Amino acid sequence: MSLSSKSAVIGRRLVQAVPVLVLSTFIVFALLKLVPGDVAVTLAGDNASDARIAEIRHLYGLDQPFLVQYGAWLWKALHGDLSHSLLSSEAVVASIARCLPHTLLVVVLAMALALLIGIPLGIAAASRQDSWLDGLVMTIASLGVAVPNFWLGMLLVALFALDLNWLPATGAVSLSQSVGGALSHAILPACALAAGGIAEVARQLRSSLVEILHSQQVRTLHAKGLSPSAILWRHGLKNVSVNLLTVISLLFNRLLAATVVVEAVFAIPGMGGLIVNAAIHRDFPVVQGVVFVMVLIVVAINLVTDILYNLLDPRIA
Amino acid sequence: MTHAVRGALTRREIVALAGGLAVTGATGLPAWAQDAARKGGIFKVAAPANPSSLDPATGGSGADHTILWTMYDTLVEWDYDTLKPKPGLAKWSYPDPKTMVLDLEKDVKFHDGTALDAEAVKFNLDRNRQDPRSNIKADLTSIAAVEVTGPLQVTLRLKNPDTALPAILSDRSGMMASPANLKALGDDTNRKPVGAGPWKFVSWADNESVVVTRNDAYWRPGRPYLDGIDIAIIPEAATALRSVVAGERDLAFSLPARLKPVIDRAKQLQIVAAPTLYCVQLYFNYARAPLDNVKVRQAVNFALDRDAFVKATMGGLGEAATMTLPSSHWAYDKSVSTLYPHDPDKARKLLADAGFKDGIQLTIGSYNDQDSVQRSEVLQAQLGQAGIRLAFTRGTIPEISAQFFATEKKFDMLLSAWTGRPDPSMTYALGFDKGAYYNAGRECDPALSTLIQQSRESEDLAARAAVFAKIQRFVMENALSAPIAFQYELDALSPKAKGYKPDLLGKPKFEHISLG
Repeated sequence: MSLSSKSAVIGRRLVQAVPVLVLSTFIVFALLKLVPGDVAVTLAGDNASDARIAEIRHLYGLDQPFLVQYGAWLWKALHGDLSHSLLSSEAVVASIARCLPHTLLVVVLAMALALLIGIPLGIAAASRQDSWLDGLVMTIASLGVAVPNFWLGMLLVALFALDLNWLPATGAVSLSQSVGGALSHAILPACALAAGGIAEVARQLRSSLVEILHSQQVRTLHAKGLSPSAILWRHGLKNVSVNLLTVISLLFNRLLAATVVVEAVFAIPGMGGLIVNAAIHRDFPVVQGVVFVMVLIVVAINLVTDILYNLLDPRIA
Repeated sequence: MTHAVRGALTRREIVALAGGLAVTGATGLPAWAQDAARKGGIFKVAAPANPSSLDPATGGSGADHTILWTMYDTLVEWDYDTLKPKPGLAKWSYPDPKTMVLDLEKDVKFHDGTALDAEAVKFNLDRNRQDPRSNIKADLTSIAAVEVTGPLQVTLRLKNPDTALPAILSDRSGMMASPANLKALGDDTNRKPVGAGPWKFVSWADNESVVVTRNDAYWRPGRPYLDGIDIAIIPEAATALRSVVAGERDLAFSLPARLKPVIDRAKQLQIVAAPTLYCVQLYFNYARAPLDNVKVRQAVNFALDRDAFVKATMGGLGEAATMTLPSSHWAYDKSVSTLYPHDPDKARKLLADAGFKDGIQLTIGSYNDQDSVQRSEVLQAQLGQAGIRLAFTRGTIPEISAQFFATEKKFDMLLSAWTGRPDPSMTYALGFDKGAYYNAGRECDPALSTLIQQSRESEDLAARAAVFAKIQRFVMENALSAPIAFQYELDALSPKAKGYKPDLLGKPKFEHISLG
C-alpha cells in the first residue's frame, strides 16, 4: 500500500470523526435534558423550596435555552476546557485523567487475556473440527458468553480474595504508584471482564478458520502436497486475520462499555462509576466530558483498525 | 425495649439493643466502655456516596455529614441516643425568647491558624443565611441580626422565638469554616475546606476518596485518637461490605438489612445495629383527588401491616413507624402510636364511606434499586388486601422524586423515606408546612402551621415535646403521610476498632473511635 493511500485513510477518518463527536455529544446532551430530573434539584439540597430551585437554576445558567447551553459547552470543549462538575466543582479533565487509567488498565488486561486464551482455543477447535476437543472448546465458549461478568466477578472475589487471600477484593492502585499493586488490583476484574471476550474470540476464529479450511483454495493447496499444519499456519491464519481484527476492535469498544458493571463490583474508581453517578444526578458537564473522551477512544480504535486492514489486505482501500 | 422482631435477632444483638446502643465486642460489653482508647492509626472507611460538596453551606446531600464532621466542629452537638442538643463549640442561652446568646470555647483555632472567635462565628452565620449559593438560608430565617457582643460571645437577634436553633446549629449551619479561607478562595473552599474539627483536610478525588489527617491543635484535650481517616467512596453496598470482610476497610456503614447474613458469616467482624430517624414512608399529595379525602388517606394507614413490613423488608432490623419519630427520640409521643393498628376491614369500610365501594386505584412513584423494589412489592400485597390497587412508576431517585415533589406533580403517592433532621420542627416544617418542597400539594391547614411555629417558642424540652405531641397527633389523625418503618443503622466494623458508637441520626461520627 502506498504512503498516500494510508494518509488518505487517516485524513478521511479524522474528518469523519468531527461530526461524530459533535453529534454524539449533542445527542447525549439532548437526552439528559429530555428525561425528567434536574441537576438544580440535587444542587439545591434537601431543604429546597421551589423558589430556591429556580434561583439555583438561574445561578448556574440552567434556565438558558437548550442550544445556548450546549453551544457554551461545545465552545469551551473546542478550546480544550471540559468545564467543571456542577455538583462537586472538580475539573472534568482532572476526574477523567484520574479515572481513565484505571478503566484502561482493566480493559487492556482483559483484552490481552481474551486474545492469549481465545486464539489458541479457536485454532485448536478449528484444526480438530468435530472432535471432543472442539466440543469442549465450544462448550466453554458458550458458557463464557452466557455467564454475566458481575456474577463471575463476585465468584472470583469470594474465592481468590476472601477465601484464599491472594488478591485484593476492592479498589484500584494507579500504575504510577506501584506497578505490582496496580496489576494485582486489576487482574480479578480483568478476568471477570475477559470471559465473554475469550468466548467470542474463540468462536469467531474457529468458524472463520473452518470456512477457510473448506475452501477451494485450501483443497488446491492440499493437492499441491502441502502439509495440513503448513496450510493452517501459513495460509489459514493469514486469511482470517482481517476477521480477527474486526472482532478485536469491536471487542475492545465493548469491553470499555462493560467495565461499568465490573467497576461497581470491584469498587474501581473508573470511568463507569464517573459517568453513572453524573448521569443519575444530571451533572451534564461530567457526562459530556466522559462521552467526549470515550468517542475519541472509539474513533482512534477504528482508525487504527482501518490502517491495519489496509496493511493486512491490500484489497481494502 | 420490646421488639416484635426479637426472635430474628441473636443474643449479642439483644444485649446491645437493651442497653440502648449496639456495639458489642467479644465480652458483651459495649466496645466503647471496654478499655482506654489508644492514640494513632489510620481508620479506613467505605462511604456510600461522593460528598456533594465539602463546603457545609453549599452542599446538599444528607450523606455529606459523616465526612464533613471529620473536618468541621459544630457550635452545638447532640446526645447520640436521643439527639437532645448539648454544647459543642458554644454554650447557648435565651435571655429572652427573641435573643439567643452563644458563648464560645476559648483558644479554638481553625486548621489554618485563624482564631475561632465571635467574629468568625458571625462571618459564618451571616454567610450561611445570606450568601446566594448557601443552601441553608431557609434554616436560619428566624435570625434578624448576628451581633458580636464580646470576643467570645455572639448574640442572635431573632425575628420570632426559635428554640429549634440549637439543633439547627448542630447541623450544617453550625459547622464553622475558616473565614480567612472563605475570603481567599470563595466558592473554591468546596475543594479546599478548612474547619476546626479533629482532622484536617488532605485530599478529595471525586467518587474515589476523601482523606483527612490529625489536627494536632484540636481544642479538646487528648483528642482525636485516630491519626487519620481514609474514606473510600464505594456506592455498591455489597462491595463495600466485601472490602471490610477482606480486611481492606475498617467500617462500612448504612448497609441494607439484606446484607446482614453476610456480616454474620464473617465471624470476626463486629455488627452494629441501632435505631435511626430514617423513616420509610408514603408521601401523599393531599391537595387533589383522591387523596384530598382524609378517609382514603386513613384507609392506606390502616391497610399497612408495619410489623410484617419490618420483618419482610428489613430482616427485623427496624422499628414499625407510627409517626415520623422513633420511640427512642426525646419528642416521641406514645399515645399517637396506637392510632393505626393493622386493620384491612376498617380500611375497606373507610374506602366505602369515601365512595370507593369496589376499592380504589392509586398511582405511586418508587425507585428502581433492589431494596425499593422489594418494599414496593410488599406494599402492593398489603394494600391490595384492603382493596387499594397500586399503579407503580419506577425510576432513579432524583427523577421520580422530582416528578412527585417539583412542578410536574405526578403520582398520588411516593414510596420513599425521610432521613430525619436534628430538630423535629424541621421535619414538620419541611414536610407539611405551606409551600414546603416535601409537601407535594404545598397546602397546609393554618392550625398545623401555627403549631409548628409554637414548637419553636419554648426553650424547655418538655414544653416543646408537648407541642410536638399535638403536631404528631394532628399529622397522624389527618393521615398527612403514612410512616411505615424506621430502618436501623447497620454497620460492619473491623474487630480492631474500639469505641464506635452509632447515633440516632444514622450518620456516623468517628470522634470516639480508636484502633486497638
